[in-house]
Amino acid sequence: MDIQTIDHLCELSKLNFNDEEKQKVMEEMSAIIELMDTVKEIDLTYDDTKDNNSIKYSEVRKDEAKPSYPTEKLLSNTEPQDNCYVVPKMVE
Amino acid sequence: MDINKVSLSGLRKALDEKEISAVELAKEYLSKIKTVDPEIEGYITVTEEQALESAKRAQELIDGGDSKPLTGIPLAIKDNICTDGIRTTCASKMLENFVPPYNATVIEKLNEQGYVLLGKSSMDEFAMGGSTQTAAFSKTKNPYDTNRVPGGSSGGSAAIVSAGTAPAALGSDTGGSIRQPSSFCGVTGLKPTYGRVSRYGLIAFASSLDQIGPIANSAEDCGILLNAVAGADEHDATSARVPVGDFNARIGQSIEGMRIALPQEFFGESTDDEVKQAVTDAAKEYEKLGATLVDCHMSSLKYAVAAYYLISGAEAASNLSRFDGIKYGLRGEGRSFDEMIRDSRSRGFGAEVKRRILLGNYALSSGYYDAYYRKALALKQQIIKEYNEIYEKADVILTPTAPTVAYRIGEQETDPVKMYLADICTVTVNIASLPAISLPCGYNSDGMPIGMSLVGKRFDEATLIQTADAYQRNFAAVPNKYRA
Repeated sequence: MDIQTIDHLCELSKLNFNDEEKQKVMEEMSAIIELMDTVKEIDLTYDDTKDNNSIKYSEVRKDEAKPSYPTEKLLSNTEPQDNCYVVPKMVE
Repeated sequence: MDINKVSLSGLRKALDEKEISAVELAKEYLSKIKTVDPEIEGYITVTEEQALESAKRAQELIDGGDSKPLTGIPLAIKDNICTDGIRTTCASKMLENFVPPYNATVIEKLNEQGYVLLGKSSMDEFAMGGSTQTAAFSKTKNPYDTNRVPGGSSGGSAAIVSAGTAPAALGSDTGGSIRQPSSFCGVTGLKPTYGRVSRYGLIAFASSLDQIGPIANSAEDCGILLNAVAGADEHDATSARVPVGDFNARIGQSIEGMRIALPQEFFGESTDDEVKQAVTDAAKEYEKLGATLVDCHMSSLKYAVAAYYLISGAEAASNLSRFDGIKYGLRGEGRSFDEMIRDSRSRGFGAEVKRRILLGNYALSSGYYDAYYRKALALKQQIIKEYNEIYEKADVILTPTAPTVAYRIGEQETDPVKMYLADICTVTVNIASLPAISLPCGYNSDGMPIGMSLVGKRFDEATLIQTADAYQRNFAAVPNKYRA
């Protein structure tokens, strides 16, 4: 685990750390990855065909329109403008 | 009526026989919460007004002769289960002010029975942890010793039941989060089979492992709660389309001839001697009740913690990518979309949640996926195979719930590797989608509760409740000072 890997993981995870925090995170993640490395000791191969997928697509609910939640309730957890979610400008 | 000593069926009887009204009962608990909870910090939100209103409605049902098992019964609900119009925080700054616009299916089912919500219980942030000390607020204490952790992540629910500030509660269990705090707080907690209870409205952590379940004072009380919340749900495609009977139907039946397996690896060096002794003594009690003890092995156990953290981390990294501060949750600042999302997440999530996301993205990233994530999935298949082999010669499995009793606050929870390794006794149950119940089986030399777990076959919760109840009938529980 090095700073470049941590920077890459921060990009994937959309997280920021300052330099001091980054050092601490790197040490912690190194110890965690060392623990995860124990899985390399055992010789096993994942068999995709045996995966226990119990969801039967014939049993999913019918595609019927039903009343949804009230807009004002859904917008109550943000600061909307004109019933829209507001985000920073994405396209110049 | 002494609320410290009654069961859910005792409360039902008292309400139906008008020994106490639903409003009086709610007031008793609300009053106890005011006295006790400042010391325990089990609740994040106490819903006094709603509790009294729903108690009034419940009393009308009782007066009309329409009571169901939970009509007028006060409960606490873990704060990762959505409650319409009531703040649901996941003990995270990210959701500090989040008010869900809908109820989780389990809440709808409890409402159908006319239950009374006392409040939302604390937990490790986003259910990631085993101490309830990663909570951004209400870092719960253990009622047996407030200098110790209550366990986690459902530490609030377990401590509340243990201290008697609710007669029962709902928690959730991804790798032991119902069973381990139940063990630490000397109460009974049931993690149902994966798919047994709908997770619609449970804020997702690791979707192939998460399950909602009850924490209560006995196996029988857990059964009453499970009866109310179990069943298929059109809103959750992973909820199982299997029949739901009465989980308490076999209570009181003999366990003569029951085969109980004890996998040796669970009684290794990492488990405290006092814990091993208490669970071994409990196994002998089962022998006296007519059960047969079966020796067995689970050789993949030493890889289970790593497999669990790789799978759950990967799923958490994906599930928590929804928290971007746009539609709900803490809103950060930034001139661009990317800057704003990163600021929201960096300020909203605590240290442990960030570690799990980083680990998950590491396991899923290019170059590491096969070595870590797929290997963990291979181990999942191996663990399932080993459980199936044990169940060829046993009906239930008996293990310690945790390698130790509750430890002192600050002693362990700041070291992530130590914390992860402490999950060794519980994670395989979630990996294999099995049901398990933790119940107290003794106290160590400091008077702290020791828990044991019974693990059952898929969808065989009734056998677990029967077997746990058989032990509890002869077990002398030692109440903490809040229940004395």
